[in-house]
Amino acid sequence: MDRNKIYPWYFTGGAVFIYSLLCFIPGVLGILYSFTDWNNFSREINFVGLKNYISVFSGHSEYMSFIGNTLLFTIATTILKTVAGFCIALLLTQKFIKFKNFHRMVIFSPQVMSYLVVGLVFRSMLHPTTGFVNNFLKSIGLERLALNWLTDLKLVFPSVITVDVWKGMGYIMVVIIAGLVSISSAYYEAADIDGASFWQKTKSITIPLLKPVIINVIILNVTYGLRVFDMIYSLTNGGPGNATGVINTAVYKEFSKGNLAMGTTLSSILFFFILALLYFILRSMDHKEMET
Amino acid sequence: MSMKSNRKIWGVLVTAALVTGMLAGCGTNQESAESSTKTVESTEEGTGESTGEAAAEKEAGGEKITLTFGSHQSGLPTSEVVQDLAKKFEEETGVVIDFQISPDAQWRDLIKVKLDSGEAPDIFCADTPINLASSMQMDEYCVPLTDEEWVSRIDENVLPAISIDDDVYGITFPGKKMYFYIYNKEIFEEAGVEVPATYEEFKNVCRKIKDLGYTPVYEATTNGWHQVLPLFETGGLYLSKDTELYNKLNKNEMDFDQVPDLLTIIEQLQECAELGYFGDDYLSNAVENAKEAIASEKAAMFIAEAAWRNEVVADFPDFDAGKLGIFVMPWGDNQVIGVNPASNAYFINKNSKYVEEAKEFFEFLARPENLQARLDGQPGLSEVCWPEIPGRYSEEDSAYIDAHDKATVVQVAVNYVDYQWMDVGKDLESMYAGAMTPEDVLKAFMDRRNEQAVLQKDESWAE
Repeated sequence: MDRNKIYPWYFTGGAVFIYSLLCFIPGVLGILYSFTDWNNFSREINFVGLKNYISVFSGHSEYMSFIGNTLLFTIATTILKTVAGFCIALLLTQKFIKFKNFHRMVIFSPQVMSYLVVGLVFRSMLHPTTGFVNNFLKSIGLERLALNWLTDLKLVFPSVITVDVWKGMGYIMVVIIAGLVSISSAYYEAADIDGASFWQKTKSITIPLLKPVIINVIILNVTYGLRVFDMIYSLTNGGPGNATGVINTAVYKEFSKGNLAMGTTLSSILFFFILALLYFILRSMDHKEMET
Repeated sequence: MSMKSNRKIWGVLVTAALVTGMLAGCGTNQESAESSTKTVESTEEGTGESTGEAAAEKEAGGEKITLTFGSHQSGLPTSEVVQDLAKKFEEETGVVIDFQISPDAQWRDLIKVKLDSGEAPDIFCADTPINLASSMQMDEYCVPLTDEEWVSRIDENVLPAISIDDDVYGITFPGKKMYFYIYNKEIFEEAGVEVPATYEEFKNVCRKIKDLGYTPVYEATTNGWHQVLPLFETGGLYLSKDTELYNKLNKNEMDFDQVPDLLTIIEQLQECAELGYFGDDYLSNAVENAKEAIASEKAAMFIAEAAWRNEVVADFPDFDAGKLGIFVMPWGDNQVIGVNPASNAYFINKNSKYVEEAKEFFEFLARPENLQARLDGQPGLSEVCWPEIPGRYSEEDSAYIDAHDKATVVQVAVNYVDYQWMDVGKDLESMYAGAMTPEDVLKAFMDRRNEQAVLQKDESWAE
């Protein structure tokens, strides 16, 4: 190897400087602030140790319910989006489907819309008396199913999750289709010769070969689900009451209350949580690759 | 070898050039900012966003002055009557007023940051009262206006909201706010009921109206604030049991769990919701749609200010506002009208170069003809807080209002209530949805209040 061809380390200096100034240092500062009593009302910032973290995990049941809601939302949307995206992708790569690209475009299109727009549109569609959904149900004689979608405690979370899955599954579908297309048709031809059924082919060829794609999809969904804000904010604003509040809506509320340290504490918790989760997911991926 | 050292030298040189370039960039930035303010100054109606002081322009004849005026949207009437008055002021004095308007939700934080960093406009609008511990420290930032001529003409009940200790710091126009139940007289007649004076009577009225197929009360929780009115606009009821209540609460000598009527009212709200008196959709409704609900006579009652009826007529000209009457919110058998003297006021920045010109503008706004113009330009306003200008209350309303006691509402007199208004709204929503009990709502409210007091290092909360 020609050592002259290697650029000296200080060539990265500019990039490292800008990266640390704009990304790294603010991030670390944010975490450091979570150990203080930084707020809007006094200029002093005092070190308070783990006090903020303790109050999140003890007395304030509200924060724990936000963390619980965030996890529930993440798990539900990840599973539903992956399953729905996978099924649609499988369907839209079959030979008997006409106008595949048109269907793909239609299913993908919600992804292009802004979360705020989707949230506001669905809020009016799900209004109990003037909304499209209930009027439609009533007009076809299903009055019993015309419910208070966004204000009934039992229904509000499923409603929010459904809207989010509707919006997000198109993207997952596109990623999985890309994975499906890259599987060599030789495997399927060989299976056909052996007389394998569709279900056997899916189980023994498609899913194993799609594993890396599916793991990526899961990472995307999990990190999105944990950081969700705009969907909830525009659809229910965390309501009724705090029934659909998640970590990021709580962060927003703490900042607007002027309790800046508590806001950074909650977002630091989220950061560490995502970091830990990603570490394990990536570790398991490395492991898989070594096996193959 | 020489190639290698050459490359090293080049590397160092390029890095050095990059760094100096960045530093130089910072340096020239400031200069260019200065020069850009100069260009702003030279245009007549420049938006001097970054200029802390007013932009001045030398003209052939003399000096032309521009005052910057920062406000949130709701600080200036949407009819732009203040902007029109500012144009007249310019014709008269040659002083230009340059308005910079920000969204409501951001203003409280934005103006605070601007004041702290010395970049605040010459005149700015802020929400009142300013005399609470939880308000902004206007005495640090603003010019005292106590000696101005117009101070003596403002309604004296309003002065505390714009004063700190004994000094007046702002000028304010909207009159005191009073919320009532606006009700449809024809529906009441059809149901054969009278205006209720107690909670039991109110429930009876609601039941009879509901039996006729109307929604008794239009309630809307999605805006977050409207459902909270019955809790704190009824301060007169609480004060009637203990006249020193507000002081005791501010000194942390007692808390809201020792105000039994508050819990009673929360429980009554829950009862009415469960009985269906707010209709089926109140958790999905918005305040903006109340006009339609009242004008179409789907609903019989709605909590609003008396002048809100003018807005109904403005949107639904065929509707006869004479059908609508007012009565005091009878929650907890309350019969005292809650008076909120606070709204927003205009202040002069202490660091402004043109304090005298700003004072002159305030004098101009305080002239009787301009006060009248201000009232005329805002249909939703019942009165201005200047007794010389007659209000818009009808004779019937005035008689009703005069016949009742009045008391200051809780949120302008007790610390750490107003700031959490929307949070209480969410808790009430939780209660209606079944996730909280009335006791939970009260406890959450008290917890937040104590938490905020500790956060602000309130002396009465020091252990």
